[in-house]
Amino acid sequence: MKADSPKHIGARIQRFEDVRLLSGAARYIDDIRLPGMLHCTFARAHTAHGTILEIDTSGLADLDYPTWVFTGKDTAGLSMKAHQDYPEMQYSEQPLLAEGKVRFVGEAVAAVLAEDAYKSEDAAEQLFIDCDPLPVVGTMAQARDASLPPLFDGWHSNVIVQRQMKGGDLEAAKAAAAHIIKRTYRNQRQAGVPMEGRGVVAHYNNADRVLTVWSSTQMPHLVRTYISEELDLPESRIRVVAPDVGGGFGVKGQVFGDEVLIAWLAMKTGRPVKWIEDRREHLIASIHARDHEHTLEAYVSADGRLLGLKADISVDNGAYSTYPFTSAGEPGMVGKVLPGPYDFQAYEATFRALATNKCSIGTYRGVARPSAVFSQERLMDDIAAELGLDPFEFRLKNIIREFPYKNVLGFTYDPGSYAESLELMQTLLADDVAAAKASHASDTTRVGVGIACFIEQTAHGTPDFTRRRTPIETGYIAARVEMAPDGTVTIDLGLQNHGQGLETTMAQVAADALGVLPSSVYVRHGDTLTTPYSVGTWGSRGGALGGGAVHVASLKIAEKLKAIAAHLMQTTPDEIELADGQAYMRSAEDRFIPISKLARAALRNVDQLPPGMLPGLEAEQRQDGPRDGTYANAVHAAVVEIDVPTGKMQLKRFVVVEDCGTILNPLVVDGQVRGGVVQGIGSAMFEHFVYDEECQPLTTSFADYLMPLAPEIPNIEVHHFETPTPLTPLGAKGLGEGGAIGPAAAIGNAVANALGVEVRETPLNANAIWHLSAHLRPAE
Amino acid sequence: MRPASFGYHKATDLAHALALLAEFGDDGRPLAGGQSLVPMMNLRLARPAHLVDINALPLTAIERRGDVLHVGALVRHHRYLSDPLIAAHFPAFLEAVHWIGHPTIRNHGSIGGSISHADPTAELPAICLLYDATIIASSTGGDRRIAARDFFLGAYVTALQPGEMVTAVEFPIPPAKSTGAFIELGERRGDFAIASVGVALQWSGRQITGAAVVCCGARLVPIRASEVENLLIGRQLDAPDAAAIGRRFANTIEPVSDHSGSSAYRKHLIGELTRRTIERACQQALETA
Ligand SMILES: Cc1cc2nc3c(=O)[nH]c(=O)nc-3n(C[C@H](O)[C@H](O)[C@H](O)COP(=O)(O)OP(=O)(O)OC[C@H]3O[C@@H](n4cnc5c(N)ncnc54)[C@H](O)[C@@H]3O)c2cc1C
Repeated sequence: MKADSPKHIGARIQRFEDVRLLSGAARYIDDIRLPGMLHCTFARAHTAHGTILEIDTSGLADLDYPTWVFTGKDTAGLSMKAHQDYPEMQYSEQPLLAEGKVRFVGEAVAAVLAEDAYKSEDAAEQLFIDCDPLPVVGTMAQARDASLPPLFDGWHSNVIVQRQMKGGDLEAAKAAAAHIIKRTYRNQRQAGVPMEGRGVVAHYNNADRVLTVWSSTQMPHLVRTYISEELDLPESRIRVVAPDVGGGFGVKGQVFGDEVLIAWLAMKTGRPVKWIEDRREHLIASIHARDHEHTLEAYVSADGRLLGLKADISVDNGAYSTYPFTSAGEPGMVGKVLPGPYDFQAYEATFRALATNKCSIGTYRGVARPSAVFSQERLMDDIAAELGLDPFEFRLKNIIREFPYKNVLGFTYDPGSYAESLELMQTLLADDVAAAKASHASDTTRVGVGIACFIEQTAHGTPDFTRRRTPIETGYIAARVEMAPDGTVTIDLGLQNHGQGLETTMAQVAADALGVLPSSVYVRHGDTLTTPYSVGTWGSRGGALGGGAVHVASLKIAEKLKAIAAHLMQTTPDEIELADGQAYMRSAEDRFIPISKLARAALRNVDQLPPGMLPGLEAEQRQDGPRDGTYANAVHAAVVEIDVPTGKMQLKRFVVVEDCGTILNPLVVDGQVRGGVVQGIGSAMFEHFVYDEECQPLTTSFADYLMPLAPEIPNIEVHHFETPTPLTPLGAKGLGEGGAIGPAAAIGNAVANALGVEVRETPLNANAIWHLSAHLRPAE
Repeated sequence: MRPASFGYHKATDLAHALALLAEFGDDGRPLAGGQSLVPMMNLRLARPAHLVDINALPLTAIERRGDVLHVGALVRHHRYLSDPLIAAHFPAFLEAVHWIGHPTIRNHGSIGGSISHADPTAELPAICLLYDATIIASSTGGDRRIAARDFFLGAYVTALQPGEMVTAVEFPIPPAKSTGAFIELGERRGDFAIASVGVALQWSGRQITGAAVVCCGARLVPIRASEVENLLIGRQLDAPDAAAIGRRFANTIEPVSDHSGSSAYRKHLIGELTRRTIERACQQALETA
């Protein structure tokens, strides 16, 4: 039995955490209620840009209940500092509560506390914020207009940072080119929108001088470090807990000023303080995403080979730099990833972040890559159209086929299935391509097929962050594994699980290494008191690096179990195999000892241990990412049908072919891919955060900010290749974000294909489609 | 996102409700399904000092009373979907209801609430206008009968006076065979419309004898297409000239422009949806001829 007992890694195991999540037993931030707790409501800026003349709090005196109010004067000097150590980057800070100026609508100006949330909300309305408006910097063009004053004193312009990356000989590529194709592409601004908004509860215990902060965050340890530095408290006396988190998607993958502020308020008032974000606050004042403009110029040979690429990248960053990825992160990422899965060796990218009077840009699933891939893959189709080539053939001609591959910027790609994925997709779509062609006979109903081929650098390690010089600094993920005397296992994980299935996949990994059942493994996470220091869950690193850490730590324990078993069975450790809860002897399968007995020996009957062996069954591992990360790859395809007279588009089919290396659990992988695709469909067709010319937000509720809903989403077909990477312990690559990266490009290409036009921007809503199909309508 | 503080009063019968509304005047509001009022209160866009909960009132009938179909103010949207009188006489009404929100919204939302709220893109105000309904507004002073065309004054503004509430809506039953259609275009299923058009036609054999066309989403109130309705009368089943009539209707309207649709787009959409609804109403006539 033991030799062929089934592996848990790769098994379709239903998620253990779903029992809790689906039965209503999960405990979210708003479920935390402490005696004597005060509720905080923020009074927020109504003016996009202005000098604060006065904050009139006199109205609070008329209320018949106690209130507490704090403004930027009280928190003076406390701020969020998110600076990337580039000489070109202009320095700025975001005060915890606005000091002197407000820079976007929704910026927190005052914190009002009362004994319940209704009262604090009523009280906050009594405040009058008198602002003297300043000229608004509302667009990327205005941000580059030197005549408008900079958002921060001492700045020379509203270009926060501008840098270049290059490799190879671009002039030579240009000279050799038979075709030069230049296009500008635009992605709209979005909000992040997890189902649960953010929220913070803090409590300072005077007896043991421990500050406890509960926050709906993806990165509890970083919250702890930042609070410690900003409030000058010993980090050892701060505990940060992320309870069940109802979705993060990167939005909760930054440290926010309110996390520091609520902690400060709890210490200042001596009472527990709670703040729960509402949807309007979430939409206008947490973080925004995307909002890119890219101008690309491709140099192509007569026979359709890409020779070089020149890129100019702008991101409308909004007002502030977010911690820890900073405002240089988003445009820099585009510059880094544009070379993509294609083989060319001349490249130059200029990228910049621009400051405007809007909510700040932060990380959101895919981080810059949905925009980069939209531009890159729209460009591939625009080139193919100009050269009269089939989009598949053109990509196959340029796709990287030999690994490891060193790209034009010096990044090394580990093996993947780029060409195979394209070829499989070509087969899967043959009928749709034919239907699309046939529909061109009609001016009223058009079918289109579009693909997006991309790679994703995942599992970034410390070297990658060192290169970027961001405050994140480190890239490892830690796991501590411990076996109890009864043979059950606890994993304390430096990741935070908010939908990734980690409580199941990590148990599968440990189970294989230790020869126990996944159900006997308890995965704990999200609490700095119990888990080893780590930077949290983001960047498609959990499976690859967290899984790696659990695997290596579990193997260390397995070694010890084998040594104990060998001692008890009077053989050598290499004769022992752990499986099905037993330690078997390889040469005599009828001889075995239950693992629980070994655990008992290690922790209780320690007289049974081999001479000299110390008691205990625990191990810790910090798994860092490879120098250049590991590259997952995928091809997405969309089939759309457009009703030309009304601009109404239906997504008929969405197909994914993906390769994330070793699959830990196919159910989890498919779930991650599908969830990401739905968000990508949101980017492609629906979601758009709109500001007017005065930078007043217009889409501040779900009536106006349109999320993708079930009726608009077709069945999402997922196909896999499995090319394990040699760079992580289990061969796993990252996959959490990939689903969100391809859809905008695939749907953009499908629309272009259907209508026979070039698609330059998203979202492709009914209005946009209608305007794109003018050429198909009879003149009116 | 919590409402400002308010008083809550559960009315036990109509007289009680009207007395409470009279007492509170401008500070009072009826609470029906709450599907519009409660979100508005949570956003503090509405802050009534007193809510008069009318849900216990027996204003729930859909019944024929002589020449009219009487619909009580508290009839919930989902009821129309299975009502034989609606299907027989008001097919555009039936189609319109499918476009209202989602099942939970249709289970709670009421006609009194929908028309009193008067969202510019809402379906039921358009249906009232399309079928020349009469709105019964009651107060302690008695009943007022208000024609739908006089009821909707602007976005979220109606002819109701403080102390008044809608108790019923009356739809005159078309004297002749009636077909109709309602088509809407929104980004997602259940969204408020970018634009929608409803058509009601009456027939004598294969000839149109009566016609009404309404559109919403274009302006702050639903619009009747009085100019082009006359063009439809006398036309034959197979030659309604729907495209030309749609264009002509669209040309009379200068639609609003916002981030969900440009004015030009809405204008075109009205023409196209008018064509489609007319053709569909003709198709129905053909199938039942
Ligand atoms: C997610 C969502 C989607 C929706 N989609 C649509 C849609 O697509 N189309 C659409 O038309 N509607 C839509 N609605 C609104 C829904 O149809 C509401 O039910 C309707 O607009 C109001 O009806 P109600 O009974 O809920 O009224 P309430 O919300 O209780 O009241 C609305 C207003 O009318 C007043 N009022 C209520 N009853 C009376 C009365 N008898 N006399 C006088 N005043 C009265 C109230 O004081 C209030 O001012 C949607 C709502 C939601 C939440």
